[in-house]
Amino acid sequence: MKTSLPVCALALACLAAQAHAQSMFRGDPAHSGLYASQGPREFHRVKWKFPTGASIVSSPVVQDGVIFFGSDDGNVYAVDGSSGKQIWQHATGGPVASTPAIANGIVYVNSYDGKFHALDARSGATKWKFATQGERNFEAKGLNGMQPKTQTMPDPYDNYLSSPAVVNGAVFFGSGDGNLYALDAASGDLRWKFATGDVVHASPAVVDGTVFVGSWDSYFYAVDAATGKEKWRFHGGEDAVMHNQVGFQSSPTVVNGTVYTGCRDSNVYSLDAATGKENWRFYNDGSWVNTSPAVKDGKVYFATSDSSLFHVVDALTGKPVLRQQGNAYMFSSPAIAGDTVFIGVLNGTLEARDLATGNVLWTFRTEASKQNSGWILSHEGKFNNAMLFRSGWYFPTVTATARQASVGSIYSSPLVSGGTVYFGSTDGNLYAIE
Amino acid sequence: MRKIIALAICLFGWSACPAAEPAAEGRWEGIVQIPGYPCRLTVDLGRDAAGKPVGSIIIPELHIKGVALADIVYADAAPATISFALKSVLASAPDAPARFAGHLDGNATITGTFTQAGNSAPFTLKRIGAAQVDEPARSTPVAKALEGKWIGDYELTGYPRHVTITLANHAGAAASAEFVIVGKKVNNLPVDLLVQDGDFLRLDSHETGVSFEGRYVKERDEIRGVCTQGPFEPSLILHRDNGK
Repeated sequence: MKTSLPVCALALACLAAQAHAQSMFRGDPAHSGLYASQGPREFHRVKWKFPTGASIVSSPVVQDGVIFFGSDDGNVYAVDGSSGKQIWQHATGGPVASTPAIANGIVYVNSYDGKFHALDARSGATKWKFATQGERNFEAKGLNGMQPKTQTMPDPYDNYLSSPAVVNGAVFFGSGDGNLYALDAASGDLRWKFATGDVVHASPAVVDGTVFVGSWDSYFYAVDAATGKEKWRFHGGEDAVMHNQVGFQSSPTVVNGTVYTGCRDSNVYSLDAATGKENWRFYNDGSWVNTSPAVKDGKVYFATSDSSLFHVVDALTGKPVLRQQGNAYMFSSPAIAGDTVFIGVLNGTLEARDLATGNVLWTFRTEASKQNSGWILSHEGKFNNAMLFRSGWYFPTVTATARQASVGSIYSSPLVSGGTVYFGSTDGNLYAIE
Repeated sequence: MRKIIALAICLFGWSACPAAEPAAEGRWEGIVQIPGYPCRLTVDLGRDAAGKPVGSIIIPELHIKGVALADIVYADAAPATISFALKSVLASAPDAPARFAGHLDGNATITGTFTQAGNSAPFTLKRIGAAQVDEPARSTPVAKALEGKWIGDYELTGYPRHVTITLANHAGAAASAEFVIVGKKVNNLPVDLLVQDGDFLRLDSHETGVSFEGRYVKERDEIRGVCTQGPFEPSLILHRDNGK
């Protein structure tokens, strides 16, 4: 009995931490990507899958055993984590490509309808809505070298909306209108907005009174959480011709006074959180880094797009620790649970990797990926680009991009809770795997 | 007696019978049943002047028109078979071209398997007429006035590039070109197509994705054009190199 009380107290504390740590994108306002639960080291079964009406790029979060997520069918969903049964759904006016945040019984989520929604976590009823100046994709003339080069084109890989962070009664999120917003979490009243030069679809991290977020204008910003005043800005790469190697789509992770963020300019940056001074950068040979890094025990975990590499680098120096070749682009952010790291792949595969070695422990492939209709993938599961991208003109290229997602791409970042891995797929399903 | 022998050959070995020989030459239409993405095919099979098999293919769903067939192999032994590859498109790796392999059912149908990137699917072709093999674009001779060494400069992403193009005619054959761009390093670009069309000159280096197209201005003895590298299209004026 003497020992059981402290154990119980510790367990309760852990549960409380876990509940907090999984109720927003990347687990917490610092976007650590760390989950208290141990994830499955072996694949046992699909516990359940929950179908929606369109792609899911939103990442699931959990609160009190309920899984919350958005779908491009326009709905926000609350699903029982044990059974996969729907508790409620709430229709917004556009695709919900952002990850909800849960705080004080309220679900906060961003939608392509240009409104930020606050919903009652129990019922899904609207608490309040806040209208931004409207959502839009990043766009540029002759984007990525596509023709006609004088045509302004939305980016077909600008898949996510900014996901909110809730801290000290305020909710922070970015918008396609170029602003970073701070709203009163209870009322939805605007506290401040901070203008950047382009689309903000990265998700802000909030640590020690500072909001950190990158914009497609090529700058990464640190903003005072209370006032909205800029503390510092960091200039990433530019690409004036193709607009391919520019912009922060990755969301930052803040650990021990250091900001880690990927960038479309192919770098992962380590920045001093207080000053914005660059500590190091890790270049990825032209591949985008859209994943949000996870940081644990002095190591930074991230993955790349075209080169399809899973990297681990030293958090202090940026020196490579290990790298593993994946099969396809990775936009999903790594989730670390115990000694396992989980990451989604755009070829419709969820990978479980050993944290220490990076070796694949097991994979799960969506049925669409296995069926490989239209030979989107090679026999080995790589994107069959020789077949897909047969034209440099905009519409065929965008069609090819959409076809890529037909294999059930996993843009969603995994949630690990209670020994189960949850993630969404462009096949429209939310999966629970144990 | 000769009729009897011919009949016997036809009955017991049709590949030896001239009347029934499975001539694959012709235009064939059909479909390859890629799961969930059937693609229409038009295949033209013929022979060049030397009797060597040649062919080209059209696949509208894949934006392919008149792509040359490679490694065309007819085998007349029963059942007659045919195979060919696509090397300039759909290759998943330089040593892994897309490939069609099938057999002729009589003289009117080819059925077989299409493989690409390790995937395979059945295809069927039906003969619809005479072959219309697409001739690949061929280099031409150039006017005497264009022969020699031309130089010019342009800037790309803030860095200067120096270009040298040397054109030479060859008796009874197409002209050839040396195409050198000097930036941070010296790039000797292999030119696989050189065409003069009126005052216009075009050089293509498909391997590197770089091309030059320009117009010869006789009064100034210069070639004014554009050097294309993907989305980059800087202007380039070539002057005759006088050895200065």
